[in-house]
Amino acid sequence: MSLWVDKYRPRTLDDLHYHEELSSRLRSLAASGDFPHILFYGPSGAGKKTRIMCTLRELYGPGVEKLRIDQRVFVTPSNRKLDVNVVQSNYHIELTPSDVGMYDRVVIQDILKEIAQTQQVDLNAKQRFKVVIINEADALTRDAQAALRRTMEKYMNNMRLILCANSTSKIIAPIRSRCLLVRVAAPTDDEMSKVLHHVAKKERFALPSPACQSILASSSGNLRKALLVFEAMKMQKPDLSGGDIEVAKPDWETYCTKVADSILQEQSAQRLLDVRGKIYELLSHCIPPTVVMKTIAERLVDKVDDTLKPQIIHWAAYYELRMRMGSKKIFHIEAFIAKVMTVYKQFHLMGFIEDYE
Amino acid sequence: MPSSTPKSSRPSESPKKSQTQSQEKKKANTSAAIKKDDKPAGRDIRGFGSTSTARNGSGSNRASGTGKKPITIDDSDDEEEEKVEKKPSVNSKLAAASSKATTSKHFASSSSSSHKPIVLDSSDESLTPPPKSEPETKAKSSAATKVKVESKPVPAKRKELVVSSDEDQDEEAKVDVRPSARKRQSLGGGLGKKVNYLESSDEDEEEVESKPTITTKGKGPAKKKEPSPTKVDSESESESESDEDEFIDDEDNDDRPKKGKAKSKAAPKSKATPRKAPTTAKKATPVKKTTPAKKPAAKLEEKDDGEKDGGGEKKKSTFNWRAAAAARSAGPRAPGSKEIPEGAPDCLAGLTFVFTGELESLGREEAQELVKRYSGKITSGPSGKTSYVVIGDNAGAAKLKTITEKKIPTMTEDEFLEFIRSRSAGGEMDEKAAKKREAEEKKIQQQARELEEREKAEERDRKRKEKALEGTGIAAKKVAPASAQLWTTKYAPQNLKEICGNKAPVERLGLWLQEWQKNYKSGFKKPGKDGMGIYRAVLISGPPGIGKTTSAHLMAKQAGYNPIELNASDARSKKLVENFTNIDNASLDGFFQGSGVKSTTVADVRVDSRTCLIMDEVDGMSAGDRGGVGALNGLIKKTRIPMVLICNDRTLQKMKPLQGTTYNMTFRRPQPAEIRSRIMSILFKEKMKIQPNVVDELVKGVNSDIRQVLNMLSTYKLGKNQMDFDEGKNLVKLNEKNTILTPFTIIDKLTGPYAFSKTSKETLGDRMELYFHDFSFVPLFMQEHYIKTSPALTNNLDGPPKDLKHLELLSKAADSVSDGDLIDRMIHGSEQHWSLLPLHAVASTVKPASLIYGPMRSTGGGPGAWGPAFPQWLGQNSKQGKLGRQLTDIQIRMRLRVSGSRAEIREQYMPLLASKIVLPLVQRGQEAVEETIEYMDEYYLGKDDWDALVELGVDTMSENIITKKIPTAVKSAFTRQYNKADHPIAFHKGDMFAASKKKIADTGPAPDNEDVFEEDEPVPDDVSEKEEEEVNDVTKDKLIKAVKPKGASAKGKAVSKAKK
Repeated sequence: MSLWVDKYRPRTLDDLHYHEELSSRLRSLAASGDFPHILFYGPSGAGKKTRIMCTLRELYGPGVEKLRIDQRVFVTPSNRKLDVNVVQSNYHIELTPSDVGMYDRVVIQDILKEIAQTQQVDLNAKQRFKVVIINEADALTRDAQAALRRTMEKYMNNMRLILCANSTSKIIAPIRSRCLLVRVAAPTDDEMSKVLHHVAKKERFALPSPACQSILASSSGNLRKALLVFEAMKMQKPDLSGGDIEVAKPDWETYCTKVADSILQEQSAQRLLDVRGKIYELLSHCIPPTVVMKTIAERLVDKVDDTLKPQIIHWAAYYELRMRMGSKKIFHIEAFIAKVMTVYKQFHLMGFIEDYE
Repeated sequence: MPSSTPKSSRPSESPKKSQTQSQEKKKANTSAAIKKDDKPAGRDIRGFGSTSTARNGSGSNRASGTGKKPITIDDSDDEEEEKVEKKPSVNSKLAAASSKATTSKHFASSSSSSHKPIVLDSSDESLTPPPKSEPETKAKSSAATKVKVESKPVPAKRKELVVSSDEDQDEEAKVDVRPSARKRQSLGGGLGKKVNYLESSDEDEEEVESKPTITTKGKGPAKKKEPSPTKVDSESESESESDEDEFIDDEDNDDRPKKGKAKSKAAPKSKATPRKAPTTAKKATPVKKTTPAKKPAAKLEEKDDGEKDGGGEKKKSTFNWRAAAAARSAGPRAPGSKEIPEGAPDCLAGLTFVFTGELESLGREEAQELVKRYSGKITSGPSGKTSYVVIGDNAGAAKLKTITEKKIPTMTEDEFLEFIRSRSAGGEMDEKAAKKREAEEKKIQQQARELEEREKAEERDRKRKEKALEGTGIAAKKVAPASAQLWTTKYAPQNLKEICGNKAPVERLGLWLQEWQKNYKSGFKKPGKDGMGIYRAVLISGPPGIGKTTSAHLMAKQAGYNPIELNASDARSKKLVENFTNIDNASLDGFFQGSGVKSTTVADVRVDSRTCLIMDEVDGMSAGDRGGVGALNGLIKKTRIPMVLICNDRTLQKMKPLQGTTYNMTFRRPQPAEIRSRIMSILFKEKMKIQPNVVDELVKGVNSDIRQVLNMLSTYKLGKNQMDFDEGKNLVKLNEKNTILTPFTIIDKLTGPYAFSKTSKETLGDRMELYFHDFSFVPLFMQEHYIKTSPALTNNLDGPPKDLKHLELLSKAADSVSDGDLIDRMIHGSEQHWSLLPLHAVASTVKPASLIYGPMRSTGGGPGAWGPAFPQWLGQNSKQGKLGRQLTDIQIRMRLRVSGSRAEIREQYMPLLASKIVLPLVQRGQEAVEETIEYMDEYYLGKDDWDALVELGVDTMSENIITKKIPTAVKSAFTRQYNKADHPIAFHKGDMFAASKKKIADTGPAPDNEDVFEEDEPVPDDVSEKEEEEVNDVTKDKLIKAVKPKGASAKGKAVSKAKK
């Protein structure tokens, strides 16, 4: 009774539907006995974690699927207690150090040392090393990444690292050079529709191609999203027939759209104040600020005059950079909206726009 | 300027200033011809910089000459005149004569180009013959100019004439006879003659000199105004003129009665009376009155500009409107453009001022300070008692209305400055005020004498005692000689009369103390007429330094009690209070029963029936004094001696118990006036010379804290015996540094309507200083606030351009706030660049403020509608943190089934998941419960997670909407159903074990932990809660049971609370 996306998740490398070449390489790596540290990277929903689990299964057999979750407590030098949730099997351990923010270095040091210094006790294990999976590796602080460097070499005997990241740009070069970089690209539309049809077949119904197309269009290469949307659509409209199939948008996305529309509707201080309230609501409900900004900006670009489009993109980029550099995200989003309002109003009042600063 | 200089010198200075300005303006306005003129004028001014009496005579001439000159139009006029008549020659001659007579260095310049010489000449002896012809020409010239737009000089000239006419009685008659149209001319004639007359008498020399200056003054403002509509010119002329007149009047007080008349004209006390003869003065005033009225009319005609408001203004013939219009049209001027005059001390005494609008060169505060400096009074709104209203740009419409209604005299900034400059010392106080002041001074001296005597007596007493004790071997109780005592001790009030302020409460306290024994005997049953009879104790509350303790001691002594004081320096815990006061001790009873076997002591002082216990600083009972207040309350209930409790803030939570048992007596800060005489007498006694207005400033600066004023002064005396206004200000500022402003005040200060106006004198440093009062909070407040003002910078715009400008300012401010955040990251991030703090101050606080300062915009109610709001960011951030933790919980539970990270769960899974486990409940109600729970189990989600999931929704999925949509029956069915069965859990949290252990330990019906903490909570009678609790008991699973009660009961409580 689980969602399709989880129900039909491939378990083995053979089950994977796309990136065949990558699958075969992973298979041979697992078989070689000389398994390297690997850094998986690629966009969200491309199948990184699925591939990691498949690889582990290839390495250790079905035992890795017996997962358990532990809550470990780490103590920072300043005597702060950190709760970290750790998912592990007998053969591997998976953690998300970025959960604890700036204290991730402590987690990395402690847990890696602990694992690295204990040898595999299970004599039946296929491999002598354990695998440590680090999720959201690109969110690791520099300190934490530096802490990884030496450990990676020193404890090579007992441990392999698998890092999982969206992009390598935030991973320091020394770590990149110690890993085998594996890029998991987002699936193409063909590959995705193949998967969608596969799921439909398993669920015993046929997926009409217009529905498939609209799913693909709304999921932009994110297979997870595509499957979720697919299921939502199926729930909404069980027969899936008919040309105009509207894809249900998630709550936050419609909300962002509303914000963008209200910006275009009126440009004034009062409106800015109202928008601030809405943005606060989005942010406090755990919608990442970058996503908020991106969604709003995209909607704005859709709606405004052609001459304004470059402006909006420019300012969105400008303020997104600042947002990433700063700490209080809403300040920058607000500055972005104030800017957009000014530019928009100016354009409609004077018929021209000033150049970017 | 030293007051010793002849009066003439004073007036002469002002023209100089005004001329410069006017000239500058004119330069812009008029043709190149002027330039030539300007130069000499400039020189003049420079020459005047150092005003010496010797030069005055010539100075005034020169000044007037230059004053005229700048009026370029005059030049043209002259030419015309030349053409039309032979007058110019006369003029030049006159000029020559005058210049020779006065031997002015700048003669050439002054005489060459200008009309002014005429005026000067008029004051010269040589002039006598021409007068009649002169007016004629002038009339013509003015007529000629009428055609031309540039007629400004004419009014100026006229004005002079008018003034002179005032002085000249003989001519007056003639003047009056002439048709009104000709009036100006006639006036001119008058001037000429008058001059002669004046000149003829040698003793009048001084006067004469002063008069020319007056005329020039009249012109000065006129010229200044020139850029503004002409009407204003005439207006200001007349006003300023009248001011001068007044100045003259000050010197001879006989003219006072005429004032009324002058006032009717609305020109401030324009009882333009030459001292010559009161009769003439009377005549003169009417003339004057007519002139201003007529002139605007004439000018209107002359002026082709067609200023719309001109007509209306004229009709109203009220000065303030025109002045306001002038100020508006004058446009912004550089701050500090005007020299701040140095008036005679106390020259504004007895006058009340109101400021409205934005002055050109002075900030509001500065202007007010100026008034205070010269002992004037300031009120915020105009009323019948207001002497003058000083009007600046954008003056409030409401105020202007009252001004016109009440006919309050108004002045512009220039006039105000001029007013200060020209008034004589002591101001023009009516007799009453003068008398009052005298009486006050006498009283002060009297008081000081008393103080002195008392001190001497005490000194004698002390010496006697010392002598007596000498040789006895008993150590004398050392009393420091008066000179070695703190002022606060030395000058502590010794009787009721000497207490400053709060007379009524103090008297009531005394009364209560006197009645206490009687009330005690009657068992505190009779309230008495003021209702104090039923209280055994009194609680005095009020800010520090206003004499609470002093009053209590004094009144206790007066009522014949022996006060014992306990304050925060004594430990006052429950135990100690009970012990040292012996409340439960039989011995106390013994004493009061008269057996006298044992005496009771409090703090080692014997307690008898004539003892009064003063508990000072009751609100300071904290930490170490646990239970102190409660014990004190117990003591009060039983006490057999009067108790006076003193605190600063009786609204504190911990003071609650005392509320019912004590009589509340609130002390307020005394008004500065109440303190003033006391301080003055102390100062007199200490031989310090400080003006009352300085004392007022000091008192106000420390918020009427008498103690602090005394301390400040006694410290100050170590260095100096005198204090002027500025030193006083500085002293206050020094002492004020210690106070920490709240962010609310800081934001108010930073973004006030005039905070960054060009007249504000605050420096960047001052503003950064505000940031440093609380550098972690102020930026947040600024970020919260910056959208909520209506910026002063958009004031001069209207409609869409205004909105656009506002948005631009907002965008700039937002950029700056964003910069500030980047800097903040550098400061608080890993780099810890604390040296960037000043930069952060500017970027995060000062710059945004400088862009958007202005009055608060109404934001449609809600928090912060009445001033800066508390930053939302803090609340929202912690909410984000809380929801973030819940999301992490959800994610980690789902982790066994789902690979996504937190963000992915929120963005992609949650919408679908909600439609699987939340929406069914909304749509199908109870029948969906089973299915929902199944899904939840699949993803290891518990009921808490379900709640969190709902809470995380936004827009149509937001918690409010969803919870409203799910019927309560469905909700409770869902809860019941969920709790009925076992559910898979992904993992055990650490605290779950702890809780379960406890649960296992006690076997009986587990007491709810929550209830232990909330002892006040009544037994829950809420049905739903009971239900839930029963459900909990039914559950078999220990683990779940351990977790559940918390959530369930907490929820139940929330519900019950909500119902309450």
